[in-house]
Amino acid sequence: MTRRDLGAAAALALPLRAEMLLAEQAQPAEAAKADPAKEDLVARARAQVRSAAAALDKVALPMAVEPAFVFKP
Amino acid sequence: MAKLDNDVFFASIVELNQRLLKKEFTCVELTRGFAERLEQQGPRYNALALSLREQAVKRAKDIDGELKRGRTRGALQGIPYGVKDLLSVKEHPTAWGARPYTGQVFDFDATAVERLGKRGAIPIGKLAMVQLAGGGGYRFPAASVTGACMNPWNRAHWAGGSSSGSGAAVAAGLVPYALGSETSGSILTPAAFCGVTGLRPTYGLVSRYGAMALSWTLDKVGPLCRTAEDCGLVLAAMAGADAKDPGSAGKSFYYAPEFQRPFAEIRVGYAPVDFDGWVAPEARAAFQAAVATIRGLGVKMVETRQPDLPYNAVLFTLLNGEMGSIFEDLIRSGKVDQLADAKQIAGLKASLDVPASAYLKAMRVRTLVKEAFDKAFYEEYDVILAPSRTAPASPIGMALDAGRGSSAPGPSDRGFTAIIPAGNLAGLPALSLPCGLAGGLPIGIQLVSRPFNENLLLALGKAFQERTDFHRQRPPA
Repeated sequence: MTRRDLGAAAALALPLRAEMLLAEQAQPAEAAKADPAKEDLVARARAQVRSAAAALDKVALPMAVEPAFVFKP
Repeated sequence: MAKLDNDVFFASIVELNQRLLKKEFTCVELTRGFAERLEQQGPRYNALALSLREQAVKRAKDIDGELKRGRTRGALQGIPYGVKDLLSVKEHPTAWGARPYTGQVFDFDATAVERLGKRGAIPIGKLAMVQLAGGGGYRFPAASVTGACMNPWNRAHWAGGSSSGSGAAVAAGLVPYALGSETSGSILTPAAFCGVTGLRPTYGLVSRYGAMALSWTLDKVGPLCRTAEDCGLVLAAMAGADAKDPGSAGKSFYYAPEFQRPFAEIRVGYAPVDFDGWVAPEARAAFQAAVATIRGLGVKMVETRQPDLPYNAVLFTLLNGEMGSIFEDLIRSGKVDQLADAKQIAGLKASLDVPASAYLKAMRVRTLVKEAFDKAFYEEYDVILAPSRTAPASPIGMALDAGRGSSAPGPSDRGFTAIIPAGNLAGLPALSLPCGLAGGLPIGIQLVSRPFNENLLLALGKAFQERTDFHRQRPPA
């Protein structure tokens, strides 16, 4: 099994013992306060994706510069 | 039964190991003491995700047996620690701080946990984290299934993230050390905010097998401890090649700070504007004293600044591109809406929009980042010195994207203010050292060096901590 399998259905379902779950006793996560409509947030996030891409367009990139990832056959 | 007092709970790994070998307490007594303290006080800070006490005490009995037979395995043997709930511990829930994953259980230990186990280290709890290590961008500290993690120095303030519980638990003396992770700032930030020592290793030095992936090319696993020396010991136990992690660098690490070059030969690059202009006014004196302490080690101080490149845009594009692919099922299934922060939900959804052309361009600009730092580390400096964060921890209810302090524009000179994204893009190691208090809250400096140069960072960190005592200070009771 590799690290790639982690997000997939490799989880093993075991019954959870009540004493293990101290997280249950913690304060519940609070919802974000008074945020704009969810659709507006997604639109803003998408705009951020576009503006980051636009910032990259300003960098002078000679053709010879290759991506910084390594492929090992 | 030995009575464990605060001198035990706030001791370093080295000190605890020495006391264990002198039989001042047994491993069972030490483990039970820390585990009970973590269970009782961890929820006070929302630092604990899951107690592992039962399993830990069983393991401690085995360790006591080994010690009786004279089988010693090094300084970590018998010492309890906490694990960020991003790393799997076999047959126990690993929730990644996120509601959609609270039932998730893996049938294997993360490599880092397994390797520490081989040295006799004992995990006593899974520690709270920002959900999905903050992927998508979160607006409030409460972006976690365990709630906002509180700072032991002042519970009205945040512990930092995403390794929130790791920073808080070490600071509060609930564990002697903890494992955290960093994609961009998630070890350095809680270390600085909580007043502990955090080490972000070189990319690929520590296996990420068993760790939640947020970004394949940015994620690193590292320790948060009481001292630089402890960070070196933990790193030495965890580091090394792992065929199960495609990002593994295939290199080992041996903690040997004594074999570094004399400090008089070390060039430390820093930007005075970081410490005079960018840091919060209430922190300025403490930061400047820290710079003077580093200078007092006899190093050559070199005034300089970071190479001029769009680090934030590069990191944002890469992180979102990879994160969107990793969490595509979560996003498309709609389960992403179960997360605790609306901004983070939106960010995750938008991450699917990163075009391949932008991702590849970001990866090409990343090559320029790497080349720029390779050049700088050869021509200008051996180590970069910068604030870990420019201000202490924010109030717990405050939005993280709210402006703090003066509305006046900052200095035009950017100094090394982008060293966190830049250092992560270039895969550089960094060490955060507590260097004082500002308004009663800790602040930290970071030392950054070229890849696989952790021993130099740790040597400088150890020397800094021999001349200061910030790493020994304890939060108010």
